[in-house]
Amino acid sequence: MKKNHSELTIFYETAHAELASALEMLAACKGTDTPKQAFGYFMHAKDEYNHAKSFFKMLSKRGKKASIKKARDFRFIPLSLIKKGYISPKGFLIETMKLKDFIAFVYTNELLAKSSFKKILNLVGFDTKEGKRISSIMKDELRHHGMAKKFFLNQYPELQPWQLRIYRTREIIHNKGRKLYDANLKFLDTFLTPLYRVMSYFAGTIARKLNLNGYKRKDKNLMNISPNSIL
Amino acid sequence: MFVGVTGYNHESSAALVDKNGVLIDFYREESLSRIKGDKSFPKRSINKLLYSNNLKIKNIERVCFYERPLSAFLHIVKEASLHMPRSLGLLTHQFRNFNSSSVACYLDFAKCFRGLETKLIYSDHHLSHTLTALAYSNFKEHICSVVVDGFGDRSTASISQIVNPTEINELWECPYPVSLGLFYSSITDYLGFAINEGEYKVMGLASFGDSNSKSAKLVKRLLDWDSTSSRIISDMSYFDYHLSTSNSFNRKLESLLGPARNPFDQLIPGDSDFQRCADIARGAQDLIIYLLGKIFNHAHKITGSRKFLFSGGVSMNSASIDSLAQLPFVDELIIPPSPGDAGCAIGAAFYGYIKSNFYSDLKIYKPSLFPSLKEKRNDEFLTKQIISNEFTVLEISEEDSFLKAAELISSGEVIGTILSNSETGPRALGNRSLICDGKNKDAVKKLNTVIKNRSLFRPTAPAMRYEIAKKHYKLRPEIYDCYKSMSATCRCLKGNVSLEFPTTHVDGTARIQIVEYGSYLDKLFSKLEPLGVEILANSSLNVSGDPTCFDLVDGLMVCSRTKLRYLLTDIGLLKRKT
Repeated sequence: MKKNHSELTIFYETAHAELASALEMLAACKGTDTPKQAFGYFMHAKDEYNHAKSFFKMLSKRGKKASIKKARDFRFIPLSLIKKGYISPKGFLIETMKLKDFIAFVYTNELLAKSSFKKILNLVGFDTKEGKRISSIMKDELRHHGMAKKFFLNQYPELQPWQLRIYRTREIIHNKGRKLYDANLKFLDTFLTPLYRVMSYFAGTIARKLNLNGYKRKDKNLMNISPNSIL
Repeated sequence: MFVGVTGYNHESSAALVDKNGVLIDFYREESLSRIKGDKSFPKRSINKLLYSNNLKIKNIERVCFYERPLSAFLHIVKEASLHMPRSLGLLTHQFRNFNSSSVACYLDFAKCFRGLETKLIYSDHHLSHTLTALAYSNFKEHICSVVVDGFGDRSTASISQIVNPTEINELWECPYPVSLGLFYSSITDYLGFAINEGEYKVMGLASFGDSNSKSAKLVKRLLDWDSTSSRIISDMSYFDYHLSTSNSFNRKLESLLGPARNPFDQLIPGDSDFQRCADIARGAQDLIIYLLGKIFNHAHKITGSRKFLFSGGVSMNSASIDSLAQLPFVDELIIPPSPGDAGCAIGAAFYGYIKSNFYSDLKIYKPSLFPSLKEKRNDEFLTKQIISNEFTVLEISEEDSFLKAAELISSGEVIGTILSNSETGPRALGNRSLICDGKNKDAVKKLNTVIKNRSLFRPTAPAMRYEIAKKHYKLRPEIYDCYKSMSATCRCLKGNVSLEFPTTHVDGTARIQIVEYGSYLDKLFSKLEPLGVEILANSSLNVSGDPTCFDLVDGLMVCSRTKLRYLLTDIGLLKRKT
C-alpha cells in the first residue's frame, strides 16, 4: 500500500511537471518574435504534452488499484499546476525571465529531468511497456537539451562552453535550494500548524460573534449600495 | 471605458464596456494561461484588453470587481466558526490565505496596474450576475432576475425585481451554506468527477438513471422546499463543503448512498457500478429541477413578473431549462451565454457604466456571442513555419475553404475550426469547434472518442438552422435565445427520425444549437445543406482537461496532439501532414 502511494505521488508530480513544461513552451511559442523559434517551441510543447499524457496514463493505472480515499487525492485538477508551484502565479518563465536565462533554464532542466526519469525507469522496469515509453521520453529530453544548447550557442556565440556549465551549476543549486526550502517548509509546517489552529480557534471564536445580518440585501435597491464598500 | 473583473474564487476574466454601453472585448484568463478554470488575478486578460484596444490606464474611467471581497470572506468564516473544532482546517486555511483571497484585489491592481486601484469599485456578486443577464435581454425594465450558484458574496441564490437598470431590488435570498450549486458539486465530487468541471458529466450521466430507483429517491431527500417559509431546507449533516477544504461530503453521505466512486475507474454503460452512479445523478438532477421550479414559482409570486433572467453557475444546467420554460407563467427566459462567474465580468463592467451615467443616458446594447477581439499577431506571422512544416494548406480563400470543408464533412471527416473571435461562454458555437456530420454515427463516434476522448455516456450537441430544428425538436419560444448559446436541451418530436441521431441522448433529448444568422456556422450550412448535411455535431475544440482553444497556435496544437486532420481557419483550410 505504501509503495503504491509513493508511486502515485511520483507519477502525479511528474505528470504535473511535464504538463507545466508544455504550457511554458506554448507560452514561449506565443511570446517569441520569430516564426522559426515559434516552431521550435511548438514542437517542444507538443512533446511535453505527450509526455504528460503518458504519465497521466501510468498514474491512472495505479489509481485504479488505490483506495477510493487515496485515489481522490490524486485526481488531476488543472489549478493545482499553480497551487503546487509548477507554474508561477507571477507568470510564465518567458514572461518573467530574460531570454538568455530562459534558454539556460531549459537547457539545464531537460538534463535534470532526464536523470529523474532514470529513477522512474528503475521503478517500472526497463523491459516493460512503461519502461520503453519512459526510455523514449528520456531520449526526447536529451534532444530538447541538445536543441536548447544549439540555440543558446547560436544566439550567444560569444559564450564559452564553461559559461554554460556555470549556468547548469547555478540551476542545479537553484533546484536543490527549492527542494531544501520545500522540505524545510514541510518540517516547519508540522510545528506551526498546531499554532495556526490555536490562533484560528481564537479568531473563530470572535468571528462567531459577528453579526452580518446588517449587511443583508433583502428589500434593498442593490444599485444604491455604496460601490466603495467591500462588505 | 469601463473594465469589469472577476477572479480568486472561480474562473477569472475581464470585460471592457465603452461609454456608449457596448461590450467591446472580453477575455477569460484560462484562454490565455491555458489552465482550465484559472482563478488567479486576471493579469493577462486585463493586459490583453488594454493592449488589444490601445488603451492606457488613464483611458479607464472605472474598474469594477464583481463582488464584495470582505463579505465573501466573512460569510465563510462566520459559518465555519459555528462548527468548531470540526471546521478548524477550513478556518486555518481561510486565515492563512487571507492575502491571496479576493480581499487582495486592491493590492493586486496596485501591483500590476498602478493607477487602476484608485478607480476600483465593487458590485454585489449576484448583482453582477443580474447585470450580465440583463445585458443579453431585449427588455431592460420590469423583469425578474433569478440567480442560483454555489456561493456569492453573501447568499447562494436570490430573486431580484428589476424596475430599471438603476433600481434592482432584491426580494428573496437563500443564505449560505444551503446551496443548490454546492449540493450539485458535492454529488459531482462523490461520483468521482472534479468539482467545477465534472458537473456536465453528472448531467449527462443522469439521463441513464431511473427517477424511481432507490438511490435517486435517497438523493431527493437531501434538500427540500419549505412552502411555509419559502426557503430551501437541507440536512447539512451529509455535507462538509462549509467545514472543510478537501471534502465536500462526508461519511454519512457514503453510508446513505454507498461508497464514493474511484475517479480513476471508467464509467461505462452496462458496467457493475454504472447504474448506481446514474441513479444518483438522476436523483440530483430531479432535485435541481424540482427546486428551481419552486424558486421560479416563488419569484413569480413575489414579483408578478412573466419575464425572467436566469444566471449563476446552476443556470448552466441545461437539462433543467426545458422544464422551467414549461412553467405556465414563464413568457420569456433569458440565460446569458456565460452565466457562471467568468461572465460576471461583463455585468461588473456594466455596473461601472451604469454608476457613471444618468438613467436617461443609459443604453445597454445586447452583446455579441463572440465578443473577444481576434488574435492577429499569432495567426498571421508566428504560425508561418509551424504550418509549412506540419500542415498543408488546402485552400486559402474563405469561399473555397468553406466549400472544401463542407465536402470533407459530408464525406465523414471531422473538422476543427479557429475562426475570427472566440465565444463568450463555455460552449463552442462554431468559431472554436470540432464539427462533423451530426447524422453520421461513425463520424460522431470518432469525434467523441478518438479525438476528444470523452466518456462514453456523454452526448455531443447538434447544431443546425432554425428551419431544421423545428422539423425535429420540440422547441419552446420562451427560451429561443437559449438555443443560440446551447444553454438548454430540448426533446425530440415524438416518433421523429431525430431520435435515431447520434447526437440525441439516451433520454430522447439533445442540447441543440440554433445557429445565429450570419455566423460562420450559418455560412458553412449554406455550403453543407446542398450536400445533404443539415445537422452538425458540435463540440468544443480542445483536448480533455484543457480550456477551449483561443488562438490559431492552440488550434494547431490540438491538431498535432490528436487524430484531428483538418482545421478551418481565417488563413484557409489546413490539413495535418502526418
